Amino acid sequence: MRRIRAVLRREWAEAMRIKMVLFSVCFFPLFMTGFAAYLVWQGRALPPQGQAVLLNTALIYFLVLPVVIPLSIAAYSIVGEKEQGTLEPLLATPIRDWELFLGKSMAPVIPGLILSWAAFGLFLLASRLILGEIPRGVLSLPWFLSIFALAPFLALFAVFVTMIVSSRTSDTRAAYQFSSLAVLPALIPLIVYSARLTAVNLAFVGIEAGILLPLNALALYIAVRLFRREEILTRWR
Amino acid sequence: MRAAVIRTEGLTRRFGDLVAVEDLSFAVGQGEVVALLGPNGAGKTTTVRMLACLIAPTSGRAWVAGREIREAPDEIRAIVGILTETPGLYRRLSAWQNLRFFAELYGVRDADARIEEYLRLFGLWGRRREPVATLSKGMRQKLALARALLHEPQVLLLDEPTAGLDPESARSVREFIAELRGEGRAILLCTHNLPEAERLCDRIVLLRTRLIAAGTAGELKRRLFGTRVVVELANPRPGLEDALRLPGIGPAELAGGKLYVGVEDPRRDNPRLIKRLVELGAEIVSVREEETTLEDVYHELMGGADAQD
Repeated sequence: MRRIRAVLRREWAEAMRIKMVLFSVCFFPLFMTGFAAYLVWQGRALPPQGQAVLLNTALIYFLVLPVVIPLSIAAYSIVGEKEQGTLEPLLATPIRDWELFLGKSMAPVIPGLILSWAAFGLFLLASRLILGEIPRGVLSLPWFLSIFALAPFLALFAVFVTMIVSSRTSDTRAAYQFSSLAVLPALIPLIVYSARLTAVNLAFVGIEAGILLPLNALALYIAVRLFRREEILTRWR
Repeated sequence: MRAAVIRTEGLTRRFGDLVAVEDLSFAVGQGEVVALLGPNGAGKTTTVRMLACLIAPTSGRAWVAGREIREAPDEIRAIVGILTETPGLYRRLSAWQNLRFFAELYGVRDADARIEEYLRLFGLWGRRREPVATLSKGMRQKLALARALLHEPQVLLLDEPTAGLDPESARSVREFIAELRGEGRAILLCTHNLPEAERLCDRIVLLRTRLIAAGTAGELKRRLFGTRVVVELANPRPGLEDALRLPGIGPAELAGGKLYVGVEDPRRDNPRLIKRLVELGAEIVSVREEETTLEDVYHELMGGADAQD
């Protein structure tokens, strides 16, 4: 645990000194919260049913945040080590491959989830202030499952994909751009809910989990295979 | 030789069809500094990486402090300090943060006190809170050396420790390495700086994928060039060199008023040579051993390796 904690602290200390990362981490949650709250404010005169639909749509944005925030941190995490030539001294320490992998994975996921959930809470508070009360049926079990159970898997998927992409590039921007594909699974509910193909229900959360879990398992398998000392030193570009 | 802290036997590493290191056997004893010399691509970095348990050998074996590199990689990494070719520091973090991170990874006790000790030792204490990016190249190299020493490793693998340093800093680093030897650590030093290797290292290992030669600088010189004595004469006369046919002495060559004579064993042969010259009526001004450098040895051996390749 000591070594994982050390990796986490270092990753965060460094991320906080990178303007691009800092901008993503601060800007996206504020922007999403502000935009979602603005939608609710626009629909404040609607009947409760209309308000519920609006809130449902707005809530989807909070599934994109757990992907977008970790992406920016993770993209720099590996490529930054390559740029600075720090991988070799780091791998020469007694840290085990799995400890480094866990530290590197959790460093983007933890702030990503905390900020996403904080933004979600802020949005609910803003909605409550604007509408007087949250319309019935919005804060349902499927919704809470989406936000609190699916979001970690979305964030992890983004991080694993970024790790895979980062192992093959030495450019932060390229890593960020290619890794942005990881946002796709988070967009599925957005598309489905926006098109009103289905309501937010347990069945849909189950389907989304059914897609995400194998994707995560596959990405984790590839990332772990790539994340071996020798592989990192001899194959990573 | 002193007890071997690093020992390799037939160490080989291939990357696909490329052979980086082949059948390499050598040892580094406790309190010994051994230079690993060779041109770029000779396999020095691959050897260091294998010894630091960063990559596995394709075949052969190696032991560091009695532990086999494939059997106890984590234990070996804990007792090895490595200075890589580039300092490899987190440029946005301060000197203190860099050392603190590595201290935690190595599980250093009293980390803050140890970090302070090394920062003061290398003259970096006053700059400890500044981002590494603002430090000079020499300061970064010293910081990287401090990082390699932080956990008091028994074994040090140093790749170009004085590269890019000004003469004063390079000297202080060399003196520091000599102190570390005095503390009984085994040090393997990769360098292209041949005078530095000659001055600092107890033994030399010449590598070009395979082991070309190993020994002390003196041994290598003698093995390659023998010992030549330069005799300055007041009355040089042609034909004198032909009259010096004695067992263990010769060949001799007269050039520019000086007689260059090969001797097998200077302690045994020099007095006999001088006696013979005096008998032949030579007036001797001075006698000294001809100096060859490690650089001469290096070029001779590497040239030979080129010819074999």
